[in-house]
Amino acid sequence: MEIKRYLTRRIIQILVSFFVILTVLFLLFRLAPGDPVSRMIDPSMSPEDAEHLIAQLGLREPIWRQYLVYVKNFFTGDFGYSFHYGRPVLKVIWEKLPNTLLLFTSSIILSALVGIFLGKIAAWNKGKPLDSWMTIGALVTHTVFLPWLALILIWVFAYKLGWFPITGIISEEIWLDPDAGALAKALDVGHHMVLPMATLFCIHFGSYLLIMRSSMLETLKEDYILTARAKGLRESVIRDRHAAPNAALPVVTSVGLSLAFSINGGALTETVFTWPGIGRELVFAVSQNDYPLAQASFLLIALVVLAANLVVDILYAYLDPRIRY
Amino acid sequence: MKTGGRCVMGYGSSRSFSGCGFLRFALIILVVFLALPAMSNGAPLLKVGVLEEPKSLNIWLASDAWSSRVLSEIYQPLFTREPSKLALVPWLAEKDPVYDPANLSYTIYLREAKWSDGTPFTSSDVAFTARLVKEFRVPRFLSNWSFVKEIATPDPRTVIFYLEEPMATFLTRTLTTPIVQEKQWKPIVEYARKKEKSLAALLNQKVDYPVGTGPFRLKEWRQGAYIFLETNPNFFGTGKRIAGRDLGPFIGGIVFKNYGTSDAAILDLKKGSIDIFWWGLQAGYVDDLQKDKNIRIITNEKSGLYYMGFNLRKAPFNDKALRKSVATLIDKDFIVDRILQGFGVKMDTVVPPANRLWCCTEVEKYCEGLNKEQRIKKAFGILSEAGYKWDEPPVDGSGKVVKGKGIRLPDGTPMAAFTILTPPADYDPQRAMVGTMVQEWLREIGMPASAKPMAFGSLTEQVKGRRDFDAFVLGYGKLSLDPDYVRNFFVSANDKPQGWNMSGYNNKEFDRVAEQSVKEMDLEKRRELVMQMQRMVVDDLPYIPLYNPMLLEAVRTDRFTGWVSMVEGVGNTWSFCELKPR
Repeated sequence: MEIKRYLTRRIIQILVSFFVILTVLFLLFRLAPGDPVSRMIDPSMSPEDAEHLIAQLGLREPIWRQYLVYVKNFFTGDFGYSFHYGRPVLKVIWEKLPNTLLLFTSSIILSALVGIFLGKIAAWNKGKPLDSWMTIGALVTHTVFLPWLALILIWVFAYKLGWFPITGIISEEIWLDPDAGALAKALDVGHHMVLPMATLFCIHFGSYLLIMRSSMLETLKEDYILTARAKGLRESVIRDRHAAPNAALPVVTSVGLSLAFSINGGALTETVFTWPGIGRELVFAVSQNDYPLAQASFLLIALVVLAANLVVDILYAYLDPRIRY
Repeated sequence: MKTGGRCVMGYGSSRSFSGCGFLRFALIILVVFLALPAMSNGAPLLKVGVLEEPKSLNIWLASDAWSSRVLSEIYQPLFTREPSKLALVPWLAEKDPVYDPANLSYTIYLREAKWSDGTPFTSSDVAFTARLVKEFRVPRFLSNWSFVKEIATPDPRTVIFYLEEPMATFLTRTLTTPIVQEKQWKPIVEYARKKEKSLAALLNQKVDYPVGTGPFRLKEWRQGAYIFLETNPNFFGTGKRIAGRDLGPFIGGIVFKNYGTSDAAILDLKKGSIDIFWWGLQAGYVDDLQKDKNIRIITNEKSGLYYMGFNLRKAPFNDKALRKSVATLIDKDFIVDRILQGFGVKMDTVVPPANRLWCCTEVEKYCEGLNKEQRIKKAFGILSEAGYKWDEPPVDGSGKVVKGKGIRLPDGTPMAAFTILTPPADYDPQRAMVGTMVQEWLREIGMPASAKPMAFGSLTEQVKGRRDFDAFVLGYGKLSLDPDYVRNFFVSANDKPQGWNMSGYNNKEFDRVAEQSVKEMDLEKRRELVMQMQRMVVDDLPYIPLYNPMLLEAVRTDRFTGWVSMVEGVGNTWSFCELKPR
């Protein structure tokens, strides 16, 4: 019963939060400077014709009516048409979303796996040179300026060594070649993913390593580890089967939230690597006052982050009964 | 169970967390691609690097530069400008238009041409395009067609336009707008017409394969990666000589490759993956690119105007003497030589020098040939004559230039501090730097000026929307080659919120000449009127014209030859029709 009450409370809180986000987003874009139709109007256009265009885009309605339409549209799943693409916003987003998910989920999972593995080793070797090197390495890669790192990787591995494409998601040489099969095309995408993934990996794995290391050090102080040692178990078994699984829990939470946030891509990575994802689209929509596209993108992010929070809360409620009360 | 060297998680589970599988997969990909040779289908495709992909291939919606680049090779106008003198030449039209002043009509004879789907291009396509624009009041195009009263199509290759009133822009703007295919657009128009918001329905129509009459047609668009335009076998110009130029295209097609940043595009240009980066280069890239023997930097003038504007609605900027003194204090040589690093030209009028037909060279040049001391003395003289006073004048009793302090307006009140708004340096470093330098030059004479960079959207809102500002530095990178914008920028009717007369210039004589200019159909007479308008603007100085940056473009020379330079660069239909593989 407690869990049901707890969940109901959390869902209501999330709904309220979402409604606040919905409203704030609407207001933010209306308050922002700039004019979504200015680029469609030329100097010789008459005021009447400019008004006609503004009315056609629904921007001449009173602000409260625009808000009501916006809320109604949201709940009916109609996000409207992008001012610039002239296409349904959801279509624009769905076209870009898989690219973002492909790149970011793979890089986050990869960096989490490596981070957990190395964090475990670092904690196990606490105070030894290996631990120091790993910790310093993690701090350096975690704090490095992402665009700088991305450009250096491009310069060295794509330009100087020529191992990888400089940017993009596919090569026209392969995709325009009628003889190229599905495998060649899949490998082409993989080839293009290496450098952006490497960049994101460098940025993320350090934080997972540090979280894992710190969590592992705490876990190693637990009584059941002592018991395992007293039972005469091998050190590797104690580390990998007894300590690591429990120590990895905070990393799993962090990965869950990172995956949720990955939906907004990361405008920087996507811009530097010309990765056609949702992050670049979001920046474009905001800079061009494309209200429908920007609002829908932010709402999608908010929705996924709130949902991820709910999932984490539910998991924690099951794992830690104290939370339910 | 062997677990050494692996991380296992879960409550006693044996799920592996080692990540070895991922690493192995990544290594396989790496090894496979290192072994893969560069694949090419061997066709002489021109590879063009662009910064963004088109937002839409619906020509009525597409207002961004990237869509225009692609669509300009598909949709064609009746007349176009030839590259050397920028004169209008028949393109889809067969010969020059025939003007009938009695009926106020123009007769256009069409060339025998076909659409890219093989159907014939006829006069009804032209009439359909015009009616579509007028019926739906399509933004960006309407002003070119609104004064066309009626269109007659006596036969498939003749169109007669009847105008409501004489309109000088008919030739330069109406006849240079692209024509769409009736067959493709008629069903769309019928669908949109039934909608409550018919214009929105038209603009929101997705066009997957635009049918045009141009040298290329869309073959494939891989969203986010590239657009491939193949050569249009039905292009009317193939094998013909138009404007003294032999047209192809001689290439297999164009691949527009999408890059997010100039850095990435330039690296790929150096690597040989693209043949041209179709975007203006920053001067900082030039030295490095010039070291590559296969890369050529091509410099062209732009049809641009970068200027300083004043708010003439408020004191002291409504005082012509003050504006003239500011124009005198500005060192345009410094701006061009130092800020633009030599890649630009000074502007003395609001029409760029590249637009030779319309640019007025006989205007007052306020700071020409003066050194710093002379500029300060001249500005001091202008202001003193107008009644300005100083607590400490910038020119002392012995005629020596010193730092001026405590400038007072002719009514004796101290000049209030004022702000020069500029775009931020990350948007345009040159304009931001110009603002700072103008601030320094004005302070030398004691004017309390401060340059203030501001987000571009906020700046235009403040200047154009709220009209609450003192002065600003702004610019236009791509002005029309027809000078009608001079009228739009300064006619008093456009002094309104969101209006194009941002300075609030109000001169009845200018209004009269401007209205006369737009209705003057005789080229020479109109030219004289436009010159007169420029002289008035340069005399009154609502804007101080500053500079026009050069357009720097980088092309590879090892695969293709025959780039055609014109205002706005080598990326143009003439180039794409004349380029030949080496």
